[in-house]
Amino acid sequence: MEHAAEHAAPVGKTYVLGRFGSGEALVDACYKVREKGFEAIDTHSPYPLHGGDEALGLSRSYVPRIALTGGLTGMFGGYLMMVYMNGLNWPLNVGGRPPHAPPSFIPITFETTVLLASLSIFFGLLTLMRLPQPYHAVFESEQFRSAVNDGFWLSMALPPGSDGKDASALLSQLGAKEISTVREALE
Amino acid sequence: MAAEHAAAVAADALETEPLLVGKQDNTTLTNNLLAHVWARPDKGWLLSFLIALSGSGALVLAITVTLVEGIGAWGNNIPVGWAFDITNFVWWIGIGHAGTLISAILFLFQQRWRTAINRFSEAMTIFAVMCAGLFPLLHTGRPWFAYFMFPYPSTLNMWPQFKSPLIWDVFAVSTYFTVSVLFWYLGLIPDLASLRDASKSTLQRKIYGIFALGWRGSGRHWHNYKVGYLLLAGLSTPLVVSVHTIVSFDFAVSLIPGWHTTIFPPYFVAGAVFSGFAMVMSWMVPARHFLGLKHVITMRHLENMNKIILATGMLVSYGYLMEHFIAWYSGNQFEWFVFFNRATGPYRGVYYLMLFCNVLTPQIFWFKKARTSIPVMFIASILVNIGMWCERFVIIVTSLHRDFLPAAWDMYYPTWVDITLFLGTIGFFSTCFLLFLKFIPAVAVSEVKELNEELQHRPAPVTVVTGA
Repeated sequence: MEHAAEHAAPVGKTYVLGRFGSGEALVDACYKVREKGFEAIDTHSPYPLHGGDEALGLSRSYVPRIALTGGLTGMFGGYLMMVYMNGLNWPLNVGGRPPHAPPSFIPITFETTVLLASLSIFFGLLTLMRLPQPYHAVFESEQFRSAVNDGFWLSMALPPGSDGKDASALLSQLGAKEISTVREALE
Repeated sequence: MAAEHAAAVAADALETEPLLVGKQDNTTLTNNLLAHVWARPDKGWLLSFLIALSGSGALVLAITVTLVEGIGAWGNNIPVGWAFDITNFVWWIGIGHAGTLISAILFLFQQRWRTAINRFSEAMTIFAVMCAGLFPLLHTGRPWFAYFMFPYPSTLNMWPQFKSPLIWDVFAVSTYFTVSVLFWYLGLIPDLASLRDASKSTLQRKIYGIFALGWRGSGRHWHNYKVGYLLLAGLSTPLVVSVHTIVSFDFAVSLIPGWHTTIFPPYFVAGAVFSGFAMVMSWMVPARHFLGLKHVITMRHLENMNKIILATGMLVSYGYLMEHFIAWYSGNQFEWFVFFNRATGPYRGVYYLMLFCNVLTPQIFWFKKARTSIPVMFIASILVNIGMWCERFVIIVTSLHRDFLPAAWDMYYPTWVDITLFLGTIGFFSTCFLLFLKFIPAVAVSEVKELNEELQHRPAPVTVVTGA
């Protein structure tokens, strides 16, 4: 967080948005925009684009590792919990089973594995995606709302204060059908 | 006739019924799949909702009576300690399983026909598990102490007894419910965003906006989202099998003749899928008609579901056959008596109804005419639901009511509270389901768009080889 004690009022980032006619056109445009050196870009589409990850140059997702960590925690946590509660802290003889009865502990161990893995996937995903996010500058543009329905948009995040002319020119040169420039609103 | 048949084969050698009818694009799909959310509820919906709501009211009444009077208000007795309550529990849990099967297992197998029906059946899973959970909760007798079953550090120095299948059940059902809700909601986020941005009023935009969490279809989000969704599907698949396996352990781990069988886990899982698909069918047939979804939920979907009903029906029938054979082959007189008693004892009516509904009814789906006939599949699905309820009743009550000592034998008759509780959960389920159909897209819109894109851009035979 920067100190807001600057001379001028703080300015939000500028976003240049361009709508393309199809998913393929968007993916192509994505490659070309990155060739020009813009890396802070994103695609917005109603469904995942074919080849979209490569076009944005994204590396492998962290989600599997998060899931594995959650699953292992659930597995060992669940099993050790039962060993402690039924085996060590309050040994209880039920039907002659030993206090530490591995076969009887399997079902719950499985369930806690799945539970913790799933919870970590879900909340891990939300953390990675930084959702819920009540405000994002791209929604300043009313046309952009087609992005989750039938539009294929490319957004370029530019440093605060830039007018976005170069970026708009680039997008229109790449064949964007609609272009709008929005500025992030700060408090 | 023969020539006509030959022509049909020539024309349709590889082509099956389409998964999406008509030429669609993203705009038309957005409009027609969300249309029923924007439309004012019609009279039919209001009337069904009113009936369902009164069912929910009856449920509240029956729960109140149960809480005030205790479970003595039910027909349970000694020896029949488990009756309607556990029957309903197993029945509802089983119904939920189709949702997970469709959404997770068919997803892993990349069955494209799953796309139009997954949202629908996942919602069913959640509501069915809610109904299911109610019964064991009430059956504890003092549901306000139900938290004793969870491992929390209490001053009573009391831990759950983890060697009991009933505690396994607590973990299995609560995990199943949690994971189903997460999976459903995760799949719903893009569609909630779609609703937000297609909405016409500010209020709608705000409400759907809150639940959409600020989703903006970002490629960086999709990147993680796809992986997360796939992994959740991968986890749900063994989970669904484990849940009904553990439910069957409630019986199989005991020493009661008729329950103590190794075939129970697979036999229960098959039965669960069987009844679940039947329930999906019973709801889908009217819903696709009234919500105008016939172009996305096509005859191909219905026919495939009927094939699964047939296959799982055969598995269930095999289960019956094996159960009876082993009862005879074991030479154990108590085991054999239970099965003899099922077919000739006082509850034989329920037994024969079960055989009729579960063994005979699905056989009609050997015929394509029946598989593609709406009235036939609707009636068959209702019969299968009835049959599967009877199966659980037969397993539970007939195994208990004539135990080892004839002096202890007794009959079980449901009281009005039992019956109201059961019908009440059907009402509650329907209430939830009708609300779901009104406020949330019944079809996974974003997935259907993706499917549409795939179907248009890649001609089928080539993609099978080179695609994935």
